[in-house]
Amino acid sequence: MSTMTHMATPLPAARHSWNWGAPVLIAVLLLGLLSVWLGQNPAHQNLSNTLAAPGPAHWLGTDHLGRDLMARLGEAIRVSLWLALGSAFLAVTLGTLLGLCAAWRRGLTDRLLCLCADGVAAIPGLLWVLLVAALAPGQKWALYSGLVLTAWVEFFRLVRSQALATLAGDGVQAGRLLGFGAPYLLRWYVLPPMVGDLLRLWSYAIANAVLAVAALGFVGVGLRPPTAELGLMMTEALPYYDAAPWLLAAPVVVLVLVVSALQSATRQALKDSV
Amino acid sequence: MSAPLLQVDDLRIHLASASPGSHGRALLEACSFSLLAGERLTLVGESGAGKSLLAQAIMGTLPPALQASGSIAIDGVATHGQRERTQPLWGRTVMMLPQEPGTALNPLMQMHSQVAEAGRYARGLQWQHARQDAAQQLQSLGLGAAARLYLHQISGGMAQRVGVACASAAGARLLIADEPTKGLDPEACAQVAALLMAAQTQGQGLLTITHDLELAAHLGGRIAVLRHGCIVEQGPATEVLQAPRHPYTRELMAARPQHWQPYPFAAAASSAPVLEAHGLTKRYGARTLFENLDLTLHAGEVVAISGPSGCGKTTLGNMLLGLSPADAGSVRRPGPAAPWKYQKLYQDPPAAFSPFRTLGQALDDARHLHYSGSSPRAPQSPESGQAKWMQAFGLSDALLARKPHEVSGGELQRFALLRLMQLQPAFIFADEPTSRLDPITQRDTMRVICDSAAQQGCAVLLVSHDAHLARHSSHRHVQMADLTMQGAATPA
Repeated sequence: MSTMTHMATPLPAARHSWNWGAPVLIAVLLLGLLSVWLGQNPAHQNLSNTLAAPGPAHWLGTDHLGRDLMARLGEAIRVSLWLALGSAFLAVTLGTLLGLCAAWRRGLTDRLLCLCADGVAAIPGLLWVLLVAALAPGQKWALYSGLVLTAWVEFFRLVRSQALATLAGDGVQAGRLLGFGAPYLLRWYVLPPMVGDLLRLWSYAIANAVLAVAALGFVGVGLRPPTAELGLMMTEALPYYDAAPWLLAAPVVVLVLVVSALQSATRQALKDSV
Repeated sequence: MSAPLLQVDDLRIHLASASPGSHGRALLEACSFSLLAGERLTLVGESGAGKSLLAQAIMGTLPPALQASGSIAIDGVATHGQRERTQPLWGRTVMMLPQEPGTALNPLMQMHSQVAEAGRYARGLQWQHARQDAAQQLQSLGLGAAARLYLHQISGGMAQRVGVACASAAGARLLIADEPTKGLDPEACAQVAALLMAAQTQGQGLLTITHDLELAAHLGGRIAVLRHGCIVEQGPATEVLQAPRHPYTRELMAARPQHWQPYPFAAAASSAPVLEAHGLTKRYGARTLFENLDLTLHAGEVVAISGPSGCGKTTLGNMLLGLSPADAGSVRRPGPAAPWKYQKLYQDPPAAFSPFRTLGQALDDARHLHYSGSSPRAPQSPESGQAKWMQAFGLSDALLARKPHEVSGGELQRFALLRLMQLQPAFIFADEPTSRLDPITQRDTMRVICDSAAQQGCAVLLVSHDAHLARHSSHRHVQMADLTMQGAATPA
């Protein structure tokens, strides 16, 4: 035993695993943004050059109407991510505010808000989006509202349960005795410990929204052609999967990359913050 | 078995230099000791000397901001404090009784099933056997009545003992007990000590971390005295405690509450009452905590209340502050003081602070809230008031930039008191304010509390399980039982 005990072994620092999420996400975003200026017109048709294979003129080939696939992917990324980021942001805000309200007021307010949340959660999320989106087909605001309507529930539940525990603790009790009001207590006692969880849930909500928008596009209830949108592109490419498999593969690969990169990026961010 | 159960050699812990603030500050230096199977080792020393860090290093749970070097071997396995190597040993080989059992216990399970679970999964007993064992453990700790209760129905001291029962039901080869008797009355302390000591006959090694020298003497075995992250003295308990060689150990021995001088309070002039309680009653389920209790507190008066763990001392204080409802009776505040002049000093100092504000910010926040601008109530100069208190409490300005978890328990408790004092309170409920501090810090902190009460003329209700401490630092010392028996307990 004494042979090994006498050298001072430096204990290892936490292993640093390479985080591929953020770079991939940035690359996909760049593709979406740069194609606005550098790419071709995503709506430009060329019926004499349909279903072209990838080549120097069209890096990813063309679709059944001869439109440049690269440019269409770029547009689809912009559309999907804006929708997803926006609706997830609105959902976080709404869910957090309602959750804090429920935990702070308790009693009837809490009961009513929980009832609403349970009611929304009782119907599958996609069905809600479908219902609301059907009110105004093809309109972005309808998609936004449908996505927010389903996504706020999990933020509400998380914030409410954590805030309830914190508000019952000694810290908040001491703060109240000292005379601090709600803004101070929420800002310095209740909210800081849950930022990490909210961030992770936010990235899930973004990924969910991207998937939901694509699923709606795929079944033809979401955005309307000629808008390029990942789900819509898959539907359009489906009949040609035999002749031009890259047409179907491109939106599928982008979707998988975006969703998994989001998860990976936030997991790393959480690890660092702990 | 010749190889020691726990071998720690030249263990050093310091802040990783990458972290902002103090660069590579050493928290623990060159600690070496070993523990054989069936042996007891007690680590005593000042609060914040690194005792708990040492336990975390052995368990492999040091926070990432801290770096350790040296070597640790548990039962012949070189773990070097790495979590990957230590975790497989958790439960069966090494087990830790955490400082805060309240947070380690499951709020959704009855106490007896939590204890049984430890026997079932850590020791591999059959369920039936584990349940019988659990009932026995709880009984021997005087918790037979609490077996079917949930966490929110029992007191902090009871949770502490349930934690001990869980740790002992697991039957690990090495048990690390971090402050196992914190906040317990002498009788409960003796029960915990007996339960901890019973396991050594089966070859369990016990490493106890405590600032309670009575417990250290009771446990016997060997003692190591820690100060500023160094072991200054190590040896058999009787030798170290009866003939301490190091000056720090001698000071520690002399600072125990039974050796204190009574605080020289000025003779209590007939001052105005600040708080009057009449006929207070509290029940938890079928259990009556107290009934028809009367209590009056006058300005500048320190009243100490003692009583066995779980008798409702904390509940009474909370009731006086209006934090928990009374089943019957009333609490009146006869003076003109604002609601925020009635304050509480917590047993667990970090609990009272937001972990996301520095201490300086926390003090400023409280002061600005009530004394911003030219409020008529403002003292001459709040800032100079703070400086004066900082000096009186022996706190350095450098601490203001730190977050609550970056200072020691004693310092944080003094900051908590300082935050209250700058509000010029009328009444402070001090709930075991020094039960987590070593005797020297305990003595200094209690003196500061008494000074504050005397100078500010604020009433203090001191709850303490330590009869010596309570008697020496109060105008009157009452037993919880007396309060309810006599009905009225106003000074003659």
